[in-house]
Amino acid sequence: MKKKILLATTGSPASFGAARVAFEMARRYDAELLLFHVAGVPKKGFSYQEVSDVRSQEAVQVDEDYMAWVEEELKTTYAKQLEECKNSRIILANGLPHREILRAARSEDVDMIVMGAHSGDSSASYSKGYPGSTLQRVAKAAKCPVMTVHRESASYMGGFSHIVFATDFSKQSESAFKYALSMAKEYDCEMTLFHALDITSKVLAQSDIEDKLITLRKRLRDVYGPKMVDFKNFEVDVWEGNPYVEIVKIARERMADLIVLAHNTRELDPEQASMGSTLEQVILRANCPVVSVNRPDKV
Amino acid sequence: MAKKIMVVDDDKEITSYLTQLFKDNGYETVEANDGSEAHDIVAKEKPDLITLDLEMPNEWGPRFYRKLTQNPELKKIPIIVISGLPSNQYAIQKAVASLTKPFDRDELMKIVKQTIG
Repeated sequence: MKKKILLATTGSPASFGAARVAFEMARRYDAELLLFHVAGVPKKGFSYQEVSDVRSQEAVQVDEDYMAWVEEELKTTYAKQLEECKNSRIILANGLPHREILRAARSEDVDMIVMGAHSGDSSASYSKGYPGSTLQRVAKAAKCPVMTVHRESASYMGGFSHIVFATDFSKQSESAFKYALSMAKEYDCEMTLFHALDITSKVLAQSDIEDKLITLRKRLRDVYGPKMVDFKNFEVDVWEGNPYVEIVKIARERMADLIVLAHNTRELDPEQASMGSTLEQVILRANCPVVSVNRPDKV
Repeated sequence: MAKKIMVVDDDKEITSYLTQLFKDNGYETVEANDGSEAHDIVAKEKPDLITLDLEMPNEWGPRFYRKLTQNPELKKIPIIVISGLPSNQYAIQKAVASLTKPFDRDELMKIVKQTIG
């Protein structure tokens, strides 16, 4: 059971999808929700408290009135959700967003951070490319799993029931696997263990592809089967194609509520590992929340 | 024999409005007030079409639909999503249509007639 969820939000429409999932999760699974907002980044070398307001981008002197106004704005924005989710708190901070989110996650010892992929700018051309820098930095350094909900359409609709765990058999995927399995057990979900055979770099004969699919399915069963122990509600599948496209497709096909994958599968040192390109694209395209697991802590 | 439509929605006003609308157009109807209640009813009544809300108290629409598709006898029942949630067309992509509340009754009846006659 997730006991404490930190929802990092700008209060803008770009984070409404993340808010919907976080509030519903907290309500359904009886977790505490911390509604966390960074009111602005202090200017002039942090020498005095003037921030550029998140929404208007205007320079504002930070005082009690301003912070009370920001809190009131958040309460109005999330009025319905806050009313339904009794176990919630609003926390405000000033500073660099990623640093403050990580600081709050650490000091509150949260079990999960939920956030959108971008802050306020959700223009189509921008949001197609890559996740925002705050998410990149939070996901890289967070000790706990980070859930991203990029699209308002995210189909976490009232509880988890099917988790897709995507792996490339790397060492880093082990933590992601442990997390996916514990979620599946806890919420009584079906689970799909999935590997995407990357065929984008060279042209292969169809029989070669099908031979590889058979081998990889067996490998999935051999590697993860014994670790499932008494959990039987799973299947394995391997599809060929471009990995991020196939992960998004199988999640849609299985009507998954959650995709779990490793943060970066090549870089062994979590301190160095920036978000992998497959994860980036899955986050931006998936029709359900995506959890990236970077470290074995909190798994 | 009249075709049977199941209305799944937690809003009583919507269910009664839809039920009356379908009855006026010569269909039989059954109702369910959320996804979990709908499971039992759909197996017993075997409707020809389902109108489905997404956000409901216990079992949400997409989860109900997932369980429906796991039953070979029921998985081909056409679904019309009727919801106020944003981007509701992405929630159940195999639905024959997704309508946003408030919906147009003529448009709904046109889709129903096209789907089950």
